[in-house]
Amino acid sequence: MSRPGFVLEVDDRTPPLVVHEGEGFRLESFPRGTRVVYPPEPLPSIRDVDGAIRRALLEPANSEPLPALLRAGMRLTIAFDDISIPLPPMAKPDIRQRILEQVLTMAAEAGVDDVEIISANALHRRLTAAELKDIVGERVFRSFFPQGALYNHDAEDAANMLHIGETDRGEVVEINRRAAESDLLVYVNVNLVAMDGGHKSVPIGLAGYRSLRHHHNSHTMVHSRSFMDHTKSAMHHSAWRMGRLLADHLKIFTIETTLDNNVFPSPYEFLQKREWEWGVRDQASMLAARRGLALAPKGMRHRLFQGIRAPYGLTGVNAGETEAVHELTVARVHQQQLVEVRGQSDVLVLGVPYVGPYNVNSTMNPILATCMGLGYFFNSYRGQPVVRRGGAVILYHPVEPDFHQLHHPSYVDFYEEVLSTSTDPAVIEAKFEEQYATDPWYVHLYRTSHAYHGVHPFYMWYWAAHAMDHVGDVVWVGADRRAVERMGFRAGSTLQDALEMVSGTVGRSPSITYLRNPPHLIADVR
Amino acid sequence: MKTPVTGPVGHVTRHLLTGALLKGAREDVRMVARGWRWGRRSMVPRSAEPYVLPKQVEPFPTAWARTPVAAAVRDGVQRFGLAPLLRAEVTPTVHGLDVLDRLDRPVVFVANHTSHLDTPLILCSLPDAWRRRTAVAAAADYFFDTWWRATGSAMVFNTFPIERRSGTLSSTPGELLDDGWNVVVFPEGTRSPDGWTHKFHHGAAFLALRHQVPVVPIGIRGSFAAMPRGRGWPVPGRPAVTVRFGEPLRPEVGQGPREFGGRIESGVARLLDEDATTWWEATRRAAAGSTPSSSGPDAAPWRRVWAQTAPPAVRSHRRVWG
Repeated sequence: MSRPGFVLEVDDRTPPLVVHEGEGFRLESFPRGTRVVYPPEPLPSIRDVDGAIRRALLEPANSEPLPALLRAGMRLTIAFDDISIPLPPMAKPDIRQRILEQVLTMAAEAGVDDVEIISANALHRRLTAAELKDIVGERVFRSFFPQGALYNHDAEDAANMLHIGETDRGEVVEINRRAAESDLLVYVNVNLVAMDGGHKSVPIGLAGYRSLRHHHNSHTMVHSRSFMDHTKSAMHHSAWRMGRLLADHLKIFTIETTLDNNVFPSPYEFLQKREWEWGVRDQASMLAARRGLALAPKGMRHRLFQGIRAPYGLTGVNAGETEAVHELTVARVHQQQLVEVRGQSDVLVLGVPYVGPYNVNSTMNPILATCMGLGYFFNSYRGQPVVRRGGAVILYHPVEPDFHQLHHPSYVDFYEEVLSTSTDPAVIEAKFEEQYATDPWYVHLYRTSHAYHGVHPFYMWYWAAHAMDHVGDVVWVGADRRAVERMGFRAGSTLQDALEMVSGTVGRSPSITYLRNPPHLIADVR
Repeated sequence: MKTPVTGPVGHVTRHLLTGALLKGAREDVRMVARGWRWGRRSMVPRSAEPYVLPKQVEPFPTAWARTPVAAAVRDGVQRFGLAPLLRAEVTPTVHGLDVLDRLDRPVVFVANHTSHLDTPLILCSLPDAWRRRTAVAAAADYFFDTWWRATGSAMVFNTFPIERRSGTLSSTPGELLDDGWNVVVFPEGTRSPDGWTHKFHHGAAFLALRHQVPVVPIGIRGSFAAMPRGRGWPVPGRPAVTVRFGEPLRPEVGQGPREFGGRIESGVARLLDEDATTWWEATRRAAAGSTPSSSGPDAAPWRRVWAQTAPPAVRSHRRVWG
């Protein structure tokens, strides 16, 4: 029986609490009265995963069973969520592998020859062969990759993008030609958070800049409240319009999965437990981890964290028509992540961990740290933000100005050139976005190397637009001062410093809420 | 000049040589020892304590105190121990016992309550046959908080526990009435702090209505002066105490606990008035609806206590003939 999430009120009995900060964590003594939001414990997972997948494919929601959609001579394309989810990456076998194997088995039984498998990475970096193999499994990889039938989506390959049409709001719908011209597109999703899935899968994952710019912009982001709640997210409304248009042109069979929140494997389980329930072993593990991390050189620490593979359990798998499936999926995600929180507070405290969607096997640079904290974590609410309008956000992360040269080349220029000019999302969008999006060098790196698209850092900045618009003060604890200043924020050494710094905005005795994330949670603020 | 070692090796070497590892470890251990209360009882933050359903406490069993053997022992204790002791310490006067001759058992005795003397006074006033079949409702949280107090009071006074806080009525008094036991109830729920009667709860009325038994009101005067709250023994000088039994009250058709409870309260007030004056005056005042309130004057607390600490004047027939 898993316990639901709850809100702790810090008192004299509360031990120091874990706060993640990049490739490390600290134990923080919060002021008394601080509310700490804990996610629900992992839901019971499905034991017979293969059986559940099979049932989902044979008894889909609002669709014919998958075998009935397969026939010899047809053109079948299978797309799957790329390496950006789940976080941390899943311990093998990946759930996408298990689904792909069953879909392909059914396709083989139906005699389908023309099958291609595409990583739906939109403007994300291309996955390496090893990364593809990790996701799809050795069998699928060996059968498709050498023949060129398993590949990354290329949004800049104009010849292989198909303009489907425009929505009633004039939004261009353009997706991967192979997918668009298939008799059936099967999409395999991992729904880590409520933002994922639904019509965000195909119209975004297989789209290009011409299509994405309609919803990936500062205006839409400020009006997505939040983008973790697709019913109130302008970004999702746009994606839904595109998805419905697409559904008229293309048969899509969506398979969505939900995971529990078992994110920390042994010996890091203590990071997932509620602190006052730590036994001697947990305390010893924590002490050992703290000393080990302090002693470890930076590179080793990076490898240690990036090597974490989460022992997720599957909590649900649904297949069929996109919207019907997504409704079931979101309900399950909410069951795992939703925590009721009463009222807003003056200060929101967030610990930004070592990994976000865009630095798997990579480096979390300052822009990605901002996106993770002020983008994903800040927006992890339903109803209203956890912090009141004009309140303050205190984040923990080293924010070192380190950039992965292979993965994030445009980020370096964004940081040096764009952010030194302005940090206002709307201003930089108007002034710089087009230039970065069309820069031939960035396009070249995106297509041939493993670089995120030139426009990607802009999108990361837009993710944080709602938070920047909403809050009055942002202070980073333990961060590189110059990097933080470049981004228009301030840095403090300790929580006490940070509270002192924001006292001008929220007063001397503010109400404080700390989201104890990860594991991921959604604050249902009433 | 030596060049400092850089890179991972340098990092580890510096960490070890500067003592940063030990210092950090010491700080961490100290923090964990304090935060997780090493060597002391671990504690859960108050807001994280699991919700526990209020424990259903089984009432202290007292059925054994009503077995023939226990009753025989009690009879001996009351007759040869309690009654002589009571008479040695106070001067009790009893009136109105004749009402019991006209009654069939069981009944509910209802009295005002100002002192620990009230229970022995009532018990020792009753005729033996009535006394042997009378049980007393006593506060579970006071008389039944420890095994020895519970056992002692059940043995000597034939008490049974009653919850005065939870608001739910125990099934014990009803079962006793059904078994033919008389039950003594002090509807104020606790001893009066100033000797005047306080609000009557309706438990006794409810009980009598439910089991269709008469209520015999009892007015006790002088026990507050003799042994008020806070005293463990009566004041010296054998103070006078009167116990007056009133006419039985029977619930009328259609009467609820609230109305019947009001009648019981008036009945006790009338007895106290009668004791202070005469039966005739009290009866006339009762008929006119002008029985003085037994809850006392609306005056300063000291005056209320002052009025009650005066021992009641004992009207004796001897004076007439003497």
